[in-house]
Amino acid sequence: MKIKFILNGKKTVVDVPGGMRLIDLLREKLNLTGTREGCGKGECGACTVLLDGKPVNSCLILAAQVDGRDILTIEGLQKGDSLDPVQRAYIDTAAVQCGFCTSGFILATKSLLNENPDPLDEEIKRGIAGNLCRCTGYAKIFDAVKTAAEYIKEEN
Amino acid sequence: MIPEIEYIKETELDLALQHLASDKKVIPFAGGTDVLIELRKSKNPFDRKALLDVKGLGLNDIYIHSDTVIIGAASTHTEVEDNEIIKSKLPVLTKASSLIGSKQIRNRGTIGGNIINASPCADTVPALLLYDAQIVIRSLSEDRTVPLSEFITSPYETVLQKDELVTEIRAFPVAEDYGWGYYKLGRRGAVNISRMTVAALMKVDGEGKINEIRVSAGSVFPITSRISDVEKMLVGEKPKAEIFRRAGEIAAEKMIETSGRRWSTPYKESVVKELIVRVLNEAYSRCKNDDLS
Ligand SMILES: Cc1cc2nc3c(=O)[nH]c(=O)nc-3n(C[C@H](O)[C@H](O)[C@H](O)COP(=O)(O)OP(=O)(O)OC[C@H]3O[C@@H](n4cnc5c(N)ncnc54)[C@H](O)[C@@H]3O)c2cc1C
Ligand code: FES
Ligand code: FES
Repeated sequence: MKIKFILNGKKTVVDVPGGMRLIDLLREKLNLTGTREGCGKGECGACTVLLDGKPVNSCLILAAQVDGRDILTIEGLQKGDSLDPVQRAYIDTAAVQCGFCTSGFILATKSLLNENPDPLDEEIKRGIAGNLCRCTGYAKIFDAVKTAAEYIKEEN
Repeated sequence: MIPEIEYIKETELDLALQHLASDKKVIPFAGGTDVLIELRKSKNPFDRKALLDVKGLGLNDIYIHSDTVIIGAASTHTEVEDNEIIKSKLPVLTKASSLIGSKQIRNRGTIGGNIINASPCADTVPALLLYDAQIVIRSLSEDRTVPLSEFITSPYETVLQKDELVTEIRAFPVAEDYGWGYYKLGRRGAVNISRMTVAALMKVDGEGKINEIRVSAGSVFPITSRISDVEKMLVGEKPKAEIFRRAGEIAAEKMIETSGRRWSTPYKESVVKELIVRVLNEAYSRCKNDDLS
């Protein structure tokens, strides 16, 4: 079936089989491989994308379901040559080791800070609870979220 | 990929119901957080099926109508968690919804899907049982309303027929002077299918005695249910540590009576006792009664 949606700000029209998951559409058909598949069952958050601004697991959505909606993947975050403040924060705080989980964390952080520019520790925890990282032990990721909040405030 | 599956979306209820009434194997789904995982695990992926997306039907209104709170079956856990009517009228449900899975899961998973999937650890069920929830069901030939306490018949089984959709859930709020408690014990950190959940509503009268009490438990009995023996024992008693402990013992006895003794019983027995005490304390601490100091 044919679907039309906004992908990283651009109108996109593609033909998809009914059983194709969003993550398969992104990675295999559209070559947007920044979205990762870890568990394939909603537990790790590596496949997180923003659907109408809200984090969802792209391994648990059919491509057909995003018809008419707005999808943001990690590839859509930077503006021209400049990285998004959340991306800069993850780099500057060294919150990235193997990087497998990073796109998911960055998008979860982006949406958290859009809704709540000044999150408390407990709120950060809830905001990124759907994302697992096997490398960093999360302390650096907390730093990254707080640094991102600062960067966003400086920009405004 | 889930091979060879057709995706159907309708915006009108009758058209959706026609698909379900046809001979084809059509599975309705909402958030897909249970169904898509099941389908990928299915041993027979080439058994050709169609998925009917009920999110196309709306079914996510939440409103109040003559003291009944009506919740569209396809409301997401996030929509329920953030809803002001539910916060003030059904606080136990707000709490339950807010503790489900992760943000990502709550943004997709729905209250209807949670109930219909009928997992013993479905977190909204113990909360909704306290509010005597009813499930509103539609098919082309009939509309019916079934109490939640009769809707789930065994783990992962409900009274829902192949040609039926759940359109809404109705819940009946209690007065503001009731205290409430909800306690979920998870095995893992934030993302978990809960292993035991208890919920309670309590009202204390002018003499400081328990006037009304409702207690429910998930993953304790084969089917999530109210614990009427505990409720009966507590009515008329003064809320005291010793009475709450007795309530916990009754719940544990009831659990062993319905499920028999298993390897996990010693663990579960002590946990159930403790959780009942905690949830009753929590409910009592929220009881509003001006006569009590
Ligand atoms: C990582 C992860 C964590 C989770 N954590 C929790 C948790 O902490 N607590 C918890 O309770 N659950 C949890 N779940 C389970 C799940 O997310 C919830 O049960 C969710 O509410 C299911 O809703 P859904 O809309 O996604 O259901 P779907 O998968 O869309 O459907 C579930 C069932 O309901 C049927 N159905 C759905 N809507 C209708 C309708 N309107 N009419 C008729 N039939 C319908 C489907 O046919 C299917 O049988 C978790 C799941 C995952 C993947
Ligand atoms: S790949 Fe989707 S949550 Fe793990
Ligand atoms: S950096 Fe390796 S999993 Fe997070």
